[in-house]
Amino acid sequence: MNPVIENLYRDGVPDKAAVDAFVSANSFPLVEPGNVTFVYRGYAEEVILRRWISGLSTAQPLQQLEGSDLWALTMELPELSRFEYKFELLRDGARHLVVDPLNGVLAHDPFGANSVCQGYGYKRPAWTLHDGEARSGELTKFQLQSQVFEESRSVHVYLPARFRRNRTYPLLVLHDGLDYLRYADLKIVLDNLIHRLEIPAMIVALTQPQDRIREYACDLRHARFVSEELLAAVSEKYPLIDDPAARCLAGASLGAVAALHAASRYPNQFGRLLLQSGSFAFSDLGHHKKGPLFDPVVRFVNEYRSSPFALAEKIYISCGIYESLIYENRSLVPLLQAQGMQINFEEARDAHNWENWRDRLRQGLTWLFPGPLWMVYE
Amino acid sequence: MLGPQRPETSVKQAMETLSFSGPIVSITAGWRDTEGEIEDLQADIGHPIEDLMIYHRAEEIFAREHELRALQRERQDQLLELQRLYRMRLTPAMQAARNLLRDQGLPDLLRLEQRAAISQVRALDRHHVARIASIHRQFDERRAALDIPTATAQRDQVLEKVANAGLILIAGGHVAVLLNRMRLFRLSDSLLNKPVIAWSAGAMVLGERIVLFHDDAPQGERDAEVLDAGLGIVHKLIPLPHAKSRLDWSSRTRMALFSRRFAPAACCTLDSGSMIRIESGRIVSAVASSVMTRSGHRKELLPA
Repeated sequence: MNPVIENLYRDGVPDKAAVDAFVSANSFPLVEPGNVTFVYRGYAEEVILRRWISGLSTAQPLQQLEGSDLWALTMELPELSRFEYKFELLRDGARHLVVDPLNGVLAHDPFGANSVCQGYGYKRPAWTLHDGEARSGELTKFQLQSQVFEESRSVHVYLPARFRRNRTYPLLVLHDGLDYLRYADLKIVLDNLIHRLEIPAMIVALTQPQDRIREYACDLRHARFVSEELLAAVSEKYPLIDDPAARCLAGASLGAVAALHAASRYPNQFGRLLLQSGSFAFSDLGHHKKGPLFDPVVRFVNEYRSSPFALAEKIYISCGIYESLIYENRSLVPLLQAQGMQINFEEARDAHNWENWRDRLRQGLTWLFPGPLWMVYE
Repeated sequence: MLGPQRPETSVKQAMETLSFSGPIVSITAGWRDTEGEIEDLQADIGHPIEDLMIYHRAEEIFAREHELRALQRERQDQLLELQRLYRMRLTPAMQAARNLLRDQGLPDLLRLEQRAAISQVRALDRHHVARIASIHRQFDERRAALDIPTATAQRDQVLEKVANAGLILIAGGHVAVLLNRMRLFRLSDSLLNKPVIAWSAGAMVLGERIVLFHDDAPQGERDAEVLDAGLGIVHKLIPLPHAKSRLDWSSRTRMALFSRRFAPAACCTLDSGSMIRIESGRIVSAVASSVMTRSGHRKELLPA
């Protein structure tokens, strides 16, 4: 049992005042080196921890502590880990998914909010937090009349602070760019890394699909859209460095598949790739079990695995250890390396979520686009 | 010498401590393609400033004078390569010195080994600076043989502006570019008897040696490197701009090695709000600046 809870029960079953004091004196979950204890307080017939960690059961019950309305569960958790969770409560025969009422740390994604468990030693990186000294870049947008999609698409663009038309800039094209802004603090991260001179001032084109599952799953129209139409439009509107080494295509999850697929259809159009938790599903034998939506992805990855070739000069890949995709990502790394590309692969004790992708941006961007910090003292 | 001008500006405050008459000129070559964008600086100090535009002047000369440009390119390539070779020797030498400084062996034996290891790093730094000086000498000789009236005219114009100036401002930015342009226009002698306010990289180029450093670089910590000799206007002082964010004060070993490596020069922090006033080669006042000690601690920088 967690020592703080042990202490609560040291003199027997605690009264309500003692439980109140326990709840107000601690932050939850209770974190120790090597493990974490989840605590829920309130009426329920059952409390279940719902977490998204591959390799562990997605549901684990909390135990009600004797004589109180406290529920607790201690689980092993290596240092520096981070994952997201909810409680499932059974009350009066109905089940409800709720965020942890005792934990104020929340992460958001397109499906809502989750509670965040920060394991021992995890600290949110300072460069993901607003820095008053960092000059702010600007977000703007334009409409792109796409011939391949036969419709107008909005493209949001990040322009760095002190943007000048008479300078030229590297370009990052980011799939699900608006989600990166909303859920991975992309603008703060870019402002900070540029301010710290860790990356050069750069232009970022943020794309958002209309039909994500279809367009990102190895759709040739999408490859043509980003590699031809979008690139041409951004190049016409903004002063870009005309060199593949100054162009990066990036994305997370299915967005990483879209980036890899586009790079395979237009090799070295983008000299840099940033792929986070890519859903690089493949099958060695028999049919895959990812569902029909993944058929085109599996076809593409299988095809690439059987006839690999160089796609870009440098590729940064990250994946969480607590996501099932770690297998696919680990499998891809030696294959890419064998084609002579420079690969930087980073694993994190995290899962398939936006804050994992946020926390890896510094390592990825500074490796792909090293900034002038060594030589510049402003 | 001032720290970075963000978030606090201090040029105006520094000006109030100086007596000068005559126009104010600035050197913002470290800003490269944004050189000369001094509107904010002028607004802050409330005086007109003329920027010498030495970065752009040099670019224009290089665009016309292909021989000079090729000579400059050759020198830059040599310097880059030499820095790479220096780093190959520096990394193991620094690692050995750090290991010895952290070792808990017999003190009498260990002390001598520590000294020897630091001496090796110091010797390597001296060797590096000497090799760079030889590259510069060769460049100067070959450049002197080129007759380039436009370059001479541009240099004379710049030197005349400096001679007529009452105060010179040298901004930070890319330290190698700034140093290169100031050397091309032979500005060091002309600054000797002028009031100068220099910040960040501007302060770095005034010293005898330019030391590049960052203990928290995103792709892993690096050892501080000597880039080149500076203009040698300020002696026995190594300015360390952005020290708060660039130096890892929690590592006593790193700091102690830094300090002992460059002794007797004082390694002085220059953060936003820092101001070191030097007259006739002597520090006469210091505000918000610390100096590294032999043991890797910091202490307030005091006037000499």
